[in-house]
Amino acid sequence: MAANQGQKIVFLEEGWEDVKKAIDKLEEMLNGGMTTSKFATNEYIDIYTKCYDMCTQRSPYNWSRELYQRHGETIENYLTSTVLPALREKTGQGGTILLTELQLRWSNHQIMNKWLKKFFVYLDRYYVKHHTLPTLSQAGLKSFRQHIYEETKKDATESILHLINAEREGEIIDKSLVKSIVELFESMGMGSLDAYNADLEEPLLESTREYYAKKRQEWIATDSTPDYLIKAEAALNEERNRVADYLNQSSESKLLKVVEEEILEKVETVLLEKEGSGCRVLLANDKSEDLQRMFQLFSRLENGLNPMASIVENFISTMGMDVINRRQARLDGGEKDKPDDPKFVKALIDLHEKYLGVVKKDFSGHSLFQKALKDAFVEIVNKDIGQHTNAELMSTYCDRVLKSGGEKLSESEVEESLDRIVQLFSYLTDKDLFADIYRNHLAKRLLNQRSASDDAEKVMIAKLKMQCGTHFTSKMEGMLADLAVGIEQRNEFEAKMRQQDTKLDFGVQVLTTGFWPTYKSPEVTLTDDMSKCMDLFCDWHDNKHQKRKLTWVFSLGNASVRATFGKKSYDLQVTTLQAVALNAFNDGKTLTFTELAKLLNLDEAIMKPLMHSLSCGKYKVISKTPASNKINATDKFKSNQKFSSNMRKIRIPMASLDASHNTKRVEEDRSIAIEAAVVRIMKARKTLQHQQLIAEVLSQLAFFKPQPRVIKKRIEALIEREYLERSADNMNVYNYLA
Amino acid sequence: MPNKRKRKATTSNTATMWNSSRSSKKSSRKGNYGNSYSSLDEAEIEKMFEDLLTAAEDNGDDGEEQSSNDMATMEGISNLCESLGLDPYDLRVMVLLWKLDATSKPQQISKTEWMEGCVNLQVDSIEKLKELLPSLDTGFLDETEFKDFYKFCFQFNREGTHKTLEKDLVLDLIPLVLGTTNRIPSERYDSFNAFLKQSPDYTRITLDQWTSFWDFCQECPLLSDYDEATSAWPVLIDDYVEYTMKNGS
Repeated sequence: MAANQGQKIVFLEEGWEDVKKAIDKLEEMLNGGMTTSKFATNEYIDIYTKCYDMCTQRSPYNWSRELYQRHGETIENYLTSTVLPALREKTGQGGTILLTELQLRWSNHQIMNKWLKKFFVYLDRYYVKHHTLPTLSQAGLKSFRQHIYEETKKDATESILHLINAEREGEIIDKSLVKSIVELFESMGMGSLDAYNADLEEPLLESTREYYAKKRQEWIATDSTPDYLIKAEAALNEERNRVADYLNQSSESKLLKVVEEEILEKVETVLLEKEGSGCRVLLANDKSEDLQRMFQLFSRLENGLNPMASIVENFISTMGMDVINRRQARLDGGEKDKPDDPKFVKALIDLHEKYLGVVKKDFSGHSLFQKALKDAFVEIVNKDIGQHTNAELMSTYCDRVLKSGGEKLSESEVEESLDRIVQLFSYLTDKDLFADIYRNHLAKRLLNQRSASDDAEKVMIAKLKMQCGTHFTSKMEGMLADLAVGIEQRNEFEAKMRQQDTKLDFGVQVLTTGFWPTYKSPEVTLTDDMSKCMDLFCDWHDNKHQKRKLTWVFSLGNASVRATFGKKSYDLQVTTLQAVALNAFNDGKTLTFTELAKLLNLDEAIMKPLMHSLSCGKYKVISKTPASNKINATDKFKSNQKFSSNMRKIRIPMASLDASHNTKRVEEDRSIAIEAAVVRIMKARKTLQHQQLIAEVLSQLAFFKPQPRVIKKRIEALIEREYLERSADNMNVYNYLA
Repeated sequence: MPNKRKRKATTSNTATMWNSSRSSKKSSRKGNYGNSYSSLDEAEIEKMFEDLLTAAEDNGDDGEEQSSNDMATMEGISNLCESLGLDPYDLRVMVLLWKLDATSKPQQISKTEWMEGCVNLQVDSIEKLKELLPSLDTGFLDETEFKDFYKFCFQFNREGTHKTLEKDLVLDLIPLVLGTTNRIPSERYDSFNAFLKQSPDYTRITLDQWTSFWDFCQECPLLSDYDEATSAWPVLIDDYVEYTMKNGS
């Protein structure tokens, strides 16, 4: 056939001869170790063109198929005749020899593949696509894989693992060598990492596991926990670096997991509980760094932190119990059981502060450890010993901080103390008890003006509000509000009073019932002057607020009495009752106990502490016959003319007439709260099973936690009062009665 | 009227027909209203009431005659017992009162109740009442009826406006009411009484507690089955179980 394009037809063998020359040259170069291409541009163009021609000629002179075939054959021949024997020779010689050879051969292959592709590239464009065949480079790779890789992969892997273990033991290895072999494995997957995973990674993981299992046994036998953990940490870091240096990135998580399993997970319990160096010991000795490391390492494991948190919780609990036992020991040793124990409260605060810090710093504030701290403290704080509950002790401590003359603290120290007390408070179950006692103390401070700082009071109330909500602090805020309003009122009233001529300077503090604790209000007979003032105020007040009713509390209130004994005059700061009593002794009268009681219209329970304060205390302004330290109904009293003191202004304290707090009232309030909750819940649900009702009630009560029995009793009371009934079909179910 | 409910045969000839519908408490006890099978002498019934029950009310304390004519108190009732030849503490008296539906006021029965009750029981004379006596055994009552009767015993024995019963009265009532039936073993209510007696906490007993005791005995024949933690029983029952556990009952 004639050339129809005016070109000379290239026959197969002819053309192939030229191509073969180039190929031979290529092979020579490779064998000679020359890795730089020595094909000049025009050489390359010639070959390319020849191939092009051979592939574009019309059939039957289209040699595409043949060329494709021969391309494959070329590579195969080269590999099997040259490369394979070379490798076989190096196998079994140990160390890096095989790997080095493999690296060379692989590198060569890549070059060969590249050039052959360049030569035959036209095939890739049409023939390959047309016949859906592997591309030239794919074919080349496949060939390599089939003839070289499959045979040497096992030995190669072995060599690599050997090197890795050597490196683990501290030897220096040729990382770049390993890296290039790893690249070979990666490439053998031909687009996926399957070859790498199956042939290199899997064996690597297994050998790693073996290696670290051995190490674990070595270390665990001899090392203390902190030392072991340091080694573990180092091992993990090393493996991570290894991956970055020469392994495929995807292996990192798998590799590290194997290491973690072997050296951490399998011995976690042993490490935590090791005698002399386990978690407890580290906590006890404040080994912050070691604890941090332990936390970091175990947080890598699933559920790795749970056993640790458990130990931490127990430890803190034990420390708390120690504090409590120390208090118990003091009480057993004869110390008086007072409602005031600042040592104890401070110890608890310090303990909490310390471990709050540990949780934050060593355990990165992790929620499991926060919970451990919380659970431990809930147990500690609610363990009451002695006659006074911890709620009371804590409240008294607040009183100390907030009253003038209590703890001597700067403003920031005060805020800090309050902050910490509120944290402890948050763990109390009987919060309502605390509130009750706190209110009593607050009232005392406010009414006797013993509050160190108004701001501090407000701050504390704000903190409590944040913890428990507005309902909790509403009464306290009411108290403060009363005083604020009182100041305005007092100014108004004072102006009014100045218009009248009263012999006494007189002020009234109006309290809103309900906010303040209930006080006894003895109907003492006042002096005429006092009565006049009182009436004046009543008039003024009733004018202002018609709907309000005033009840006078004479057991509170202060007075300043000018007393003259002989030539000297004194200003006595006394309570209202004391002032009234003193007045009775003007004109040098002598009065018996009974007479005085009748005159003042006070009963014995009040008379006794009253007269005691005036005649048996530090400042005996009233003399008593017979002189003793106890008041009897048969005593006689007279103003003590011989009284003298260096000071001009004297404060004569009197014992408080009211009990410090009323547990009964708290109980009553609780009963009411429980019943209210039950009714509320039943009204919404109409019908509810017993257990569910109990559960809901408990969840609704924020400030205390009653026993189920107590709740049951309240339910029975409500049944009696026909708010609820038992269901006729099921004894366990209650129905709401509208 | 279909008689759906089984009842034990009585040996007397008293024609007592029980209505089967249970929805109305009254009718379950009383039978049909205004359905006289045999002709009853209503005037006689009224006379019975006045003679026996209110004749005893001869106290001249107050001139309030209208109340004594409409309500018969315990005095009148014990008068009735006498003419029936019954001891006032015989339980059959209670059963009779229950059947007469004397629920308007505790320890009293009203004239209306008497009238209607007698009609339902088909009695208009003391003799007919006497014939009724054997049927007043509590053994004839089924579960539901007995429970109702049991409750009635509590409600009827209250005093005045009290909603609760004094403990001593309860101590007497329990063996009385429960002793005539085999529904609850005597050990159970004896031990309950013993517990109540020694307990300082309970001085009065509520209806809820009274009925719960009955339900409790029905549901928990074995005390070892009792679980306080999940129980909805009144605290009284919890305490009772605790007591028996401690004293090895």
